[in-house]
Amino acid sequence: MTNSSQPVLQIRDYSLAYHVPAGPVPVLKGINLQIERGEILGLVGESGSGKSTLAGAVMRYLSGNAHENDGGIFLGDTDLRAQSQRAMSDIRGRRMSMVFQDPATSLNPTLCLGEQLAEVLIRHRGLSRAQAWREGEERLAHVGLKTPAEMMHRMPHEVSGGEKQRVVIATAFACNPELIIFDEPTTALDVITSRQILDLFAELQSETGVASLYISHDLALVSQTAGRVAVLEKGSIVEEGETGELFRNPVHSYTRALIDAVPRPERRLVQPLAAASATPLVTIRDVSVSYGRKSLLDSILRRDFQAVVGNRAITLDIRPGEVLGIVGESGSGKSTLAKAMTGLNRFDGLIEFDGRPVRGLADMNRDYRRDVQIIFQHPDASLNPRQKISEILARPIRLYGDRTDGPARDRIAAMLERVRLPASYIDRYPHQLSGGEKQRIAIARAFLSNPRLVICDEITSALDVSVQASVIELLMELHRDTGAAYVFITHDINLIRQIAHRIAVMYRGDLIEIVEADRIGDSDRAPYTQQLLAAVTSPAAALGG
Amino acid sequence: MTDFLRRLLRTPQGFLGSLIVGLILIAVVLGQWLTPYGPADMQALARYGAPSVEHWLGTDQYGRDILSRLLNGARSTVVMALLATFIGTLGGAVLGTGSAYLGGRADEFIMRTVDAVMAIPSLLLALLVVSLLGSSSANALLAIAIAFMPSMARISRSVALAVRKQDYVSAAIARGEGSTYIILREMLPNVIAPIVVEMTIRVSFAVMLFATLSFLGLGAQPPATDWGLMVSEARQYLHRSYWILLWPSAAIALTAIGFNLLGDGLRDALNPRT
Repeated sequence: MTNSSQPVLQIRDYSLAYHVPAGPVPVLKGINLQIERGEILGLVGESGSGKSTLAGAVMRYLSGNAHENDGGIFLGDTDLRAQSQRAMSDIRGRRMSMVFQDPATSLNPTLCLGEQLAEVLIRHRGLSRAQAWREGEERLAHVGLKTPAEMMHRMPHEVSGGEKQRVVIATAFACNPELIIFDEPTTALDVITSRQILDLFAELQSETGVASLYISHDLALVSQTAGRVAVLEKGSIVEEGETGELFRNPVHSYTRALIDAVPRPERRLVQPLAAASATPLVTIRDVSVSYGRKSLLDSILRRDFQAVVGNRAITLDIRPGEVLGIVGESGSGKSTLAKAMTGLNRFDGLIEFDGRPVRGLADMNRDYRRDVQIIFQHPDASLNPRQKISEILARPIRLYGDRTDGPARDRIAAMLERVRLPASYIDRYPHQLSGGEKQRIAIARAFLSNPRLVICDEITSALDVSVQASVIELLMELHRDTGAAYVFITHDINLIRQIAHRIAVMYRGDLIEIVEADRIGDSDRAPYTQQLLAAVTSPAAALGG
Repeated sequence: MTDFLRRLLRTPQGFLGSLIVGLILIAVVLGQWLTPYGPADMQALARYGAPSVEHWLGTDQYGRDILSRLLNGARSTVVMALLATFIGTLGGAVLGTGSAYLGGRADEFIMRTVDAVMAIPSLLLALLVVSLLGSSSANALLAIAIAFMPSMARISRSVALAVRKQDYVSAAIARGEGSTYIILREMLPNVIAPIVVEMTIRVSFAVMLFATLSFLGLGAQPPATDWGLMVSEARQYLHRSYWILLWPSAAIALTAIGFNLLGDGLRDALNPRT
């Protein structure tokens, strides 16, 4: 339908602003892009750079307060901006389709998978119901699902996240579209699953020759998927080029900063432990956590009660001043262990802190609370939105500070300086700060009590890559200064190899093994560890070292 | 804040509600100085008067100016209603938030007790409290506050359950804060928005409940200018002059409508997505 020399997607001088009560906020500025047939264009940018708005603009699915300039968006020779809503709904799904970030929310939970897939085929290809169903089964087999006939009848909640994303991809490819937009398709998935999805994507892409716009914040990932990469900063494309070339010789300073911020396992950021101290700071012996409570009704009716297991008999120790990394997929019990150690979960077993046994919440006295601090994943959620920074940071001082250290306000100001925030932030509310700044406040709160063990629960995963690098830098600096031990929970294996002394690998509530960080790549590691490592996109290979 | 006010005044119910409540508040604050006659000044020659130039709303059975009495009564009726709602809301909010924070068996116990109390109609409960404690304005206030607590506890618990799962509450528990601090300083400020909306709507119920209690002789006692009491007294003279009955009834209705509209407007203004 289009002649071969013409690009599949062409965006010319396109700008967009959102009108809010405070005035227009420009989101996209003079975007020029084109994607040829069979090409994958990676679109990289941090949160708020306008990536998803661009995807929305191409799909002609914008919110009511969006105002566009007169730039052009063409799919083949069709001017998408001139299409009516009706015509667009015909184009969407047939000539271009989209794969969203979270398969859990992009599928309708009340319809079985087959119905959702068949609907697209019936609507756009005019198949009968029976034909569409047969075709759907074929499609599902094509995306590597083992039992497609049964899969068609299942509901979304009956299949795993990876399988859901495969169904979404099957739907996107169902009508052989010219263009598919992938909006962070693997961000919500586990490492191993997302590797499988990426392999599938590469396979389907080379088979069908569809043009793809691949949106992601993960540079390492884009470097392996896309042939060409465009870097979006605050609504403008600052650099565009062939992937290898762009990563080897970035021209724009922003691109360079982004590439530098990607964690590289061989660049160690932590000094080796001075001497392997004989007495561990924390000893965890057979700690198990299970969720759920046997209800009164259950015991009256003598019903069996099956508790959900969070952790199964975890045994490990943490040396003074050590950075212990804990990695694993979601649901592997990493955070559960952290919560047990901070008294947020009940547990069975024994935690020994500095020689003092802790068997339950009652044993966690003020000294233990002061010595063990936790920093959470989402700074938005871990800082009370109704409290000023001064109140948030004053609490640890009130709770455990001795009065000799001078007035609380001075200590807060000094701490703000240590986490490299201006002292004027003391009277602000959390919502007036950016994500990275909020996380610095959370770090400041943890360190105000001079802890000996800090548990960092995925603290960088909600942050952009460049912000993540500076937060890690700050943490390592505080580690050098205070000598506190860290438990660093993450799913980013490249990052943990940079900063940890030892790495504990967890899988479905069990501790698989604990290894020295520099020995994790060895061939005698547990099979699961090897599988995990193989799934990780190594930036070294991709970015040319 | 100005943005919030603009959103509130843009909706018709918000605008009308603010206007009516504003007028009522003016009557509450300045009522005493606006009245041409004292609330208890009797004029033997001007009894049962229809609205006229001297007496805009007419006079009652003792020749007292109805407008003066209404303006004077605004203070007791509206202030008492606001106070009762506030106490009831605060009590209910602390109860519900505490229940959500404690969780487990304690939550179950508190909420089932609340359910049991809720099964009694609020007027009946108020009557029960007043008949136990004796009839006076202060007891009526207490009765209404108690009658409001259960439903407020339920609303704030449902909001607080979501807040309970937030990391800032976990962080507070992890650093060893006491329950009182967590409930009052960490959780309560974050459940307040929906409660404020509910509270505004409840004020209108309180105005009517107060009027009902006074009407039944269980609230303010004569010669107070409480609106409910005025209606109650006027009932006997309905065949001589219906104005005596009409005006205080209208005032009660207007106040109830005003607070209801304001509550609807607030709900929309606080939730820009609806």
